[in-house]
Amino acid sequence: MGAHFRGFSMFDAFFVQQLVNGFSVGLVYALIAIGFTLIFGVLNVVNFAHGEVYMVGAYAGVVLITAFAPPLIAVVLFVMAVGAVAGFGLERLAFKPFRRFQDEASLKSKAMREATLLSSLAVSIVVREIVEKLFGGAMRPVPFEAQLTEPIQVGDLSFSTGQFVIFGAAVAMFAGLQFLLYRTRIGLSIRAVANNPLGAKYVGINTDRTIIATFVVGSVMGAVAGILVALYYGSVFPHMGFAPGVKAFVAMVMGGLSSIPGAVICAIFLGLSEAVATEFLAQGWSELIAYGFLLLTLIFFPTGLFGGARDRV
Amino acid sequence: MSQLLEIRDLRVSMGAQPILEGVSLDVPEGGIVTVLGSNGVGKTTLMRAISGIYKVTGGDIRLDGKPINGLRSDEIVRLGICQAPEGRQIFSNMTVLENLKLGAGPRTGRAYEEDLERIVGLFPRLQERFTQKAGSLSGGEQQMLCVGRALMGRPRLLLMDEPSLGLAPKLVRQIFDLVAAIREAGTAILLVEQNAKAALRVADQAYVMESGRIVLQGPAAELAEDPRIRAAYLGGHVH
Repeated sequence: MGAHFRGFSMFDAFFVQQLVNGFSVGLVYALIAIGFTLIFGVLNVVNFAHGEVYMVGAYAGVVLITAFAPPLIAVVLFVMAVGAVAGFGLERLAFKPFRRFQDEASLKSKAMREATLLSSLAVSIVVREIVEKLFGGAMRPVPFEAQLTEPIQVGDLSFSTGQFVIFGAAVAMFAGLQFLLYRTRIGLSIRAVANNPLGAKYVGINTDRTIIATFVVGSVMGAVAGILVALYYGSVFPHMGFAPGVKAFVAMVMGGLSSIPGAVICAIFLGLSEAVATEFLAQGWSELIAYGFLLLTLIFFPTGLFGGARDRV
Repeated sequence: MSQLLEIRDLRVSMGAQPILEGVSLDVPEGGIVTVLGSNGVGKTTLMRAISGIYKVTGGDIRLDGKPINGLRSDEIVRLGICQAPEGRQIFSNMTVLENLKLGAGPRTGRAYEEDLERIVGLFPRLQERFTQKAGSLSGGEQQMLCVGRALMGRPRLLLMDEPSLGLAPKLVRQIFDLVAAIREAGTAILLVEQNAKAALRVADQAYVMESGRIVLQGPAAELAEDPRIRAAYLGGHVH
């Protein structure tokens, strides 16, 4: 009886460790999903290049670290700047050209949405190929001193510094974004454009500038997520944005497409589910979880688990 | 009276389809001008062209004699032309107060507080609903919010597109009383209406549009007596 109990509790600790890891992975998805969802909420289009912004942020950070080994905060600030430029460029290149027709029908039309799906996908492929040409297609390790992989033992559980940094960053980004959206003028404009782009024009909002601001904010978040995750996992590679990008997309759909809190909750839920699933499924099968959730959501909750009549973004 | 808004030979096309085929009209400083016409003759297109939502393909729109066609919608709002548009276009997922704040544009602090007080004076109902989502308001309240939001921009010229559409008769009367009150405060109004009778009663000057052109114009009181108007728009009965 005693032995059995100890066996159970050991399984328990392992299980809790899995949950901790799953939670961290979920936070990584959440960091990406925040920017994804913000842009979707405003434009009603999926930005397929968001995963590449994440990848570019990671590479930019690693290049800086390799060259100068600055403190983490300087790396983050640099990556934020790179993310801002990337967001601006992405919007001008892949989205702006399809916004020439400014009436309400074109603003939310299917044609515009499908065109930018492809143009952002095109930009993402080109950027990925350029990075591959410049840095090679293989995994590139992050300089060891900069990695956030220092283990921290708490009882039976082991954490790493990266998990705490990612948790802190996720909380800061989520809170910062809520502050931006609900307490600042530009946030008010972003929500107005998300809610009713035509109405936004009638109250004198420069919708073009608001859309750029949205891309800049969303891409800054994506880029910062990229470098933090790179430091946590210890490496970067040109395709690193794809898998977490897909997961973030699933979280966004599950959360109701335009709800940031919904996307964050679903991202964490997804990370936890994948970790738990490795208990029952072989490694390769855990990919099934995200797509399974996506299907279930689309079949049973077409407006998402947190969708419906809530504030967009 | 000097002209605040002058429109000359305005042309707007949607693709190859011409919608406005040479519209000319004037709105004097502090005046009320109404544009009448049945559905689909281009009244809303006219309003959207003035606000810079639609691109003008020909002709001229001038404010204080300076051309404003080609400006962006936000620049036109800054110049003092605000619109309470057709379909209201309020921010349904945002609160009533946020809607009004958006109408105020960049003004904050003292100036904003004063404007808010003024609007609440006109529409006491809105204050009771400040923290409610705009989409949860009744149709009449939404219309008040729509007009209130436009007034928060301190317009010199207020464009009102079908403000009485879908409202109960009692509310329609309130809206037209409001139009008169807004003018009293010094704001000129360009009013598009299907309710010709009420519009002609409140306006100084009236224009009648048919398929993209002005076909009749004159002082509102005269047009109200014009047999052609009576036959086409006032009918035998009042609605």
